[in-house]
Amino acid sequence: MRKDVLIIDDEPAIRRLLIGALDRAGIAHVEAATAAEALRIASAAPAPLVALLDLGLPDRDGLEVVPQLAALGLSVIVLTARDATEEKVAALDLGADDFVTKPFDSEELLARIRSALRRKAGPLSTTARREFAGGHIDRDAHEVVVRGEHVDLTPREFDLLWTLADHPGRVVTHERLLELVWGPAHRHDLNYLRVAVRSLRRKLEPNPSAPQLIINEPGVGYRVAG
Amino acid sequence: MDEPRPANDAERFLRLAQREERGRLTVYLGAAPGVGKTYRMLQEAARRQAEGLDVLVGVAETHGRSDTAALLEPFEVLPRRAIAYQGHTLDEFDIDAALERRPGLILVDELAHTNAPGSRHPKRWQDVAELLVSGIDVATTLNIQHIESLNDLVAGFTHVRVRETVPDSILDSAEIIVVDLPPEALIERLRAGKVYLADTAGQALTNFFTPSKLAALRELALRFAAGSVDRRLTDQLALAGDEGDYAVGERILVAVSPGKGGAQVIRHAKRLADLAYAPWTAVVVESGGARGVVGEQREQLAENLALASSLGAALMTVAATDVAQALVDQARELRASQIVIGKSRRSRWFEWRHGSIAQDVIRKARGIAVQIVPLEDADERPARTSDYHPWRAPLSALVIVAATVGPVFAAQGWLPRGAIDMLLLVPVIIAASLLRTYAGLWAAGFAALAYNYFFTEPRFTLIINDTADVITFVVLALVASVIGALAGKVRRQAETSAGVARLNASLARFAGLLGGLSDREDTARVACREIGALLDVEAIIVSLEGDRLTVRGNPAHGALSLVDEAAARWTLERGEVTGRDTGTLNASDWQFHPLQTALGIMGALGVARPEQGRIIRADDATLLASLIDQTALAHERLVLEDEARQVGTLRERDRLRGALLGSIAHDLRTPLTSVIAAAEAIPAEGAYAEEVLIARSEARRLQRFLGDLLEASRIEDGGVKPRIESIDLTDVIHAVLRDLRQNREGGRVVTRIPDDGPLIASDPVLLRHALINLVDNALKFSPETSVVEIVLECDSSHVTCRVLDRGPGLPAQHDGLFERFARLEGSDRVGGTGLGLWIAKNLVEAVGGVISADNRPDGGAEFAVRLPASNSRTEPANA
Repeated sequence: MRKDVLIIDDEPAIRRLLIGALDRAGIAHVEAATAAEALRIASAAPAPLVALLDLGLPDRDGLEVVPQLAALGLSVIVLTARDATEEKVAALDLGADDFVTKPFDSEELLARIRSALRRKAGPLSTTARREFAGGHIDRDAHEVVVRGEHVDLTPREFDLLWTLADHPGRVVTHERLLELVWGPAHRHDLNYLRVAVRSLRRKLEPNPSAPQLIINEPGVGYRVAG
Repeated sequence: MDEPRPANDAERFLRLAQREERGRLTVYLGAAPGVGKTYRMLQEAARRQAEGLDVLVGVAETHGRSDTAALLEPFEVLPRRAIAYQGHTLDEFDIDAALERRPGLILVDELAHTNAPGSRHPKRWQDVAELLVSGIDVATTLNIQHIESLNDLVAGFTHVRVRETVPDSILDSAEIIVVDLPPEALIERLRAGKVYLADTAGQALTNFFTPSKLAALRELALRFAAGSVDRRLTDQLALAGDEGDYAVGERILVAVSPGKGGAQVIRHAKRLADLAYAPWTAVVVESGGARGVVGEQREQLAENLALASSLGAALMTVAATDVAQALVDQARELRASQIVIGKSRRSRWFEWRHGSIAQDVIRKARGIAVQIVPLEDADERPARTSDYHPWRAPLSALVIVAATVGPVFAAQGWLPRGAIDMLLLVPVIIAASLLRTYAGLWAAGFAALAYNYFFTEPRFTLIINDTADVITFVVLALVASVIGALAGKVRRQAETSAGVARLNASLARFAGLLGGLSDREDTARVACREIGALLDVEAIIVSLEGDRLTVRGNPAHGALSLVDEAAARWTLERGEVTGRDTGTLNASDWQFHPLQTALGIMGALGVARPEQGRIIRADDATLLASLIDQTALAHERLVLEDEARQVGTLRERDRLRGALLGSIAHDLRTPLTSVIAAAEAIPAEGAYAEEVLIARSEARRLQRFLGDLLEASRIEDGGVKPRIESIDLTDVIHAVLRDLRQNREGGRVVTRIPDDGPLIASDPVLLRHALINLVDNALKFSPETSVVEIVLECDSSHVTCRVLDRGPGLPAQHDGLFERFARLEGSDRVGGTGLGLWIAKNLVEAVGGVISADNRPDGGAEFAVRLPASNSRTEPANA
């Protein structure tokens, strides 16, 4: 039987807690205490869909495992400390989908896991249309609809919204966004991104100073509410 | 040696500042006894007392005058201290009782009074100085002729010299009130018997009371007071930023000679320095050799130097053969504008023979004014050196000549005549160069006689009948004097430079010896041994350990007498030279010098000499000063080494503590994560709902503690390094709300953020952490039902983020709010580490911001984080 979630953590107590939470939520799971064990499970068929990865592993640097799990088709959610900004950015750049900071709130954690599972379960979107909370963006029709109304965006804003919506619910790092939308030469021109996000929020958010749609993780990147 | 006293701004400021803390001195100055100084002083004091000032009479001499005695009535009078002296009992001013009593103003009559032997200070003005230093105001009386720098002047026209003098320095910051009485009125009072004159001095003093002398004295007193007012005014102008008439660059150099007249020259220089408001330096030139200073003159020189020092001169000793040249060189080096030098009235012959230093100085001192002070007695004649023996020169000359003439006479048959002339030069050269010119001249005489007697026709007679022989005689005499003079000069120079070289060598050796030592005991022992050997004295080093006086460096002197101890303590506490040959506690056998460095007084060097006479000879003063400096530096080095060791240990301990803290906090974090997750996994319902809620909130609190501890140790390690990037504060504030779970239903935080607030350059992670602490604090300290507001305000230069709550607000006194472990009243109730605000402050400051706290006018507290707005609104052109 397919296990949906692979728990990778060397702390038995944390593992037991995560198991409890997943049990109560009715999500099937399998666990690993080391990187080696995790990779073995992830390579076996049927592979789990989502990996919950604690970066502090006894046998390997957690960051090394991220790209390997991602390559095996798993959606990786990293467990990190709140102040470990660089670690988060590195994990995301290496292919992780998301991160949850410790000590975690089980509700929040389950919401992230469900979101990831949903993305995995849904058919790989081949169309030019992406959904997000309260609206959608269509690349072919060059159309953005929010709360039933058309919104006019500049080409740059359109590209930005598309890039974010293409990774629904996932954090895209600042640098990656700049690279994809403005080009590699502008990887560090964070100011461009800030200004564009502002103007996008003004056009999309009901209250731009309390954003609900385009959420920032300070020092890490942006996510669009899925 | 001391730096030349700088009459610069720094000194004036210091003097003014000292004046603030020190007691104020009021001097009632009179031109002569009997003008009514004591009376006036008592009158003024009565007025001050009526105004409510606490006045104490320390000493008031009524001299049996009833009107003066009546004035004493309203005052508390300090009982005098009885001092037994040679069978008499002397009543003296009781300084200890006065210090104990601490009045607002104390009256101490007759500033120039000499205390009975056995008193703390030999002079009353020293008692007064001590009162002033301890912050007590003093009023006193003084007659003009007792002022040190005017002493000569007064003695000059009154022909009465008073022995009791008061140094000018004590009057520097005093308020001078002239008690004036026209001469005629004073003479009238004298005739009426209203003026008290001490029995012994009475007769002499009547010499004062002639109208012309009194007029001169009166003018002197008024001028002195005017000068004092002038100086005080200049000080105040300078403090107010006004330049005033201040002679910039004026500096006076006075040549100190060993004679009695030296004192006269020094006083003259002091007056000049006062007039020009200039610093002055007293210079002694050690010329060595035949004109060197010996015996009694040495004592006199030391006294002259002490006088110069007490009048405020900087002292300096130079070694040189050419006195005049040395003086001029020194004047150039010090950039002196004037040289003051004494000149005795000597015979023309003496001057022709010896030259006059004063004349030489005038010749050489181009561009420097030279003041000549004519001296009364010709005491400047160089004394004969003590090893001088009248028969020595002719005897040795005779022996040398005989030793040459003998062999020459025996061998004359083989020698050509010319060779004999030449050979007779030999004893002259030998005598002149090895001994001195005198001996050379004697030798020339003997050689000429011998030549005449033994070698010229007619033989064995002293008849000269050949001009050639006359010429031979003259040539021999000339050779003797020239060689003698040259040899003497070379010898003196060699002696002088050898002396200087010896001095430098011993100083270098001394410094080298001390440099290698690393404990106080050894340092003191070596320093005392070397100083003792170099100066031919006994030396000890005393220091205070706690309150106990410790004596080191000389096992022969382990304990001090009570007087010695008092002198040592005085030096250690005030950094002044005390003991024998000084003005303070000179009953002590020792003379104590402070070992002073930038760190303070490291200890005191005590020097003593078993025999009579000055402990430190004048020409040793420079050497002693250098030795003291070296010793002080060696002690300072020990202290610094000690401190460095302690700091090293402390730093290591601190590092370990930090590492331990970090690792503990980290290790606690993992299990705590499980605890929190577990507590939050249990549904808060049913019978144990309350307990679950407590477990959750306490676990969260523990987590905050840990976070604070980790962050604090990171800040202390200097591990906070901002990563500045373009940020939108809106994002940071909303991240804070998410972190504190205030972004959902039931959240108590309301935000007021403008839509178009500026983007700023800052570190979002550090700001987020700082804001979490502030908002968390606001939530903790305000009622559950109240709202916490986050308000963002912008102007052209700054962005301010305010966190407002409706809690109890800050206490009136909240200066230390952002200090570590600062906890305001009542904060225990809510339970914080006392680190939260300190962390917030450090993080905000790390990104160049300012944090502040205040109470809101309508209740509650307000914390503000003010950040510089950066000009980063430039939009990409193609956006």
